[in-house]
Amino acid sequence: MLELSELQRDALGEIFNIGVGRAAASLSQIVNDEVLLSAPSVQIVRGEEATRALFGTELRQLSTVSQTFSGPFKAEATLVFPESNALEIVRLMVGPHMSVEELSEFEQEAMCEIGNIILNACMSSLADLFHISFDSTLPLHRFGDVQSMSIISDEGERVLLILQVDMIISQQRIQGHILFLLSVASMCNLFNCLEQYLKDQGLA
Amino acid sequence: MTLKSLGCTSLCSVIDRLEIGIIVLDEAHQVLHWNRWMTGRSNQTPEQAIGQKLESIFPEISSNRLKLAINHAIKDGLPSLLSPALHSTLLALYQTEDDRRQNKRMQQMIHVLPLRDQASKSACLIQITDMTASISRERLLRQQAENLRRTNSEDPLTRIANRRKFDEVLVYEFRKAQTLKTPLAIAIADIDLFNDYNALYGRDGGDRVLAEVANIFRDAIRPVIDLVGRYGGEEFAFILPGMSEEEACRFAENIRLRVVAQSIVNESSKIAQHLTVSVGVTMMTPDADADTHTLISSADVALYQAKHDGRNQTICFSIEDGSFKACR
Repeated sequence: MLELSELQRDALGEIFNIGVGRAAASLSQIVNDEVLLSAPSVQIVRGEEATRALFGTELRQLSTVSQTFSGPFKAEATLVFPESNALEIVRLMVGPHMSVEELSEFEQEAMCEIGNIILNACMSSLADLFHISFDSTLPLHRFGDVQSMSIISDEGERVLLILQVDMIISQQRIQGHILFLLSVASMCNLFNCLEQYLKDQGLA
Repeated sequence: MTLKSLGCTSLCSVIDRLEIGIIVLDEAHQVLHWNRWMTGRSNQTPEQAIGQKLESIFPEISSNRLKLAINHAIKDGLPSLLSPALHSTLLALYQTEDDRRQNKRMQQMIHVLPLRDQASKSACLIQITDMTASISRERLLRQQAENLRRTNSEDPLTRIANRRKFDEVLVYEFRKAQTLKTPLAIAIADIDLFNDYNALYGRDGGDRVLAEVANIFRDAIRPVIDLVGRYGGEEFAFILPGMSEEEACRFAENIRLRVVAQSIVNESSKIAQHLTVSVGVTMMTPDADADTHTLISSADVALYQAKHDGRNQTICFSIEDGSFKACR
């Protein structure tokens, strides 16, 4: 259990791609330029495997935006970019030339909003297709390395759903990840919702 | 007294007195509440606003993200944040009447939060924070940081690197040369008989000529790779990574000739009709034990020799065999 079948993986991937597609439309509207977003891969790993799965051995400074969604299942969703990529996104979206040292509250808020758009879009896409609803906290922006993220430090029975995110702004490709951290019970509920959805579609 | 004992009416008056903007919308985007802060900034009283659709109060929102965020809150029950960095002045809100006349909108941070009303229908809370002061403070801080960075590393008269910056870059390039086992050359140029020039043309004239020589040197170096800094009063020093002795000699002689070619009139000079410089140059491929002091003092020794030999010439000092050589 807690393994995705090919069918489930495809279905989840499709749902999230609808979500990030909507997010891309919102981001494009803000910058008046085409922003493309895609989620090419979905995988499920246990907490301790996450570091490896995500970042290899390299421990980089990360920029994260998180929101906790609660409903039929509870998930702590975090959009993760290496700090330099996050800065690049904000720079491309905000415009003026800024150095890393200058990334202050002003840009953190921008990153917060970008994260908010993407995370809300993914979760509302799930909610729409599963016919469920979520409450959510407001987005929170943090800097830190992989070690300082709660997924890794948490030893409990938690599971991580990892979504790779590719973003293209002004012809630049920027890679990041969305992590959904769930308890085992919540992950089971997500699976149930997914199964129900596949059944409704006549696929399972 | 607990907040509950204040009663609903008093709670509304608390909301009215908040120093942030509060708008509550029902499912159909009609205004249910409009606090006093909003009245002051929007020129709309609660009586005018309540019952109206938000789009008819602020027509511009129908095409921007606020409307999407409101839909998100009402339809999906999800909160949104609209940052001043990406939107700045989303709504027509003004701090003062004067600002309104000049169309100077307030910088805004907007939170859109889902609510449920008593009939458990969806509603939405819009919270607006005035960010004008913090944004202008941030701009000022950023500008000051930029100025500080410049004054910390730039010589104000010649606009080239100052001694501090030069020393920093030297340490960096020296370590790089040690690690990569590549050569590093240093040249020092000194304006000949500068005191006499100053005495004849005054301090302002001296300053002008320093800036002019700095310009010549700045144009002579390889951009990005090399660095020229003002090392002392009329001394300029060059960091030349990767140059062999031969290349360094050619470069050093070339900067001397460039000054000559400029033909800056100097009637105080005993050695020429125009301004001249003497140049000392040296290079090493530093091993683990080497230090920057050896490199700088060797260039200094070469410069001293050039002065001693009659000025307006370039001398190279070989650290390897301790010999002097005229660069031609």
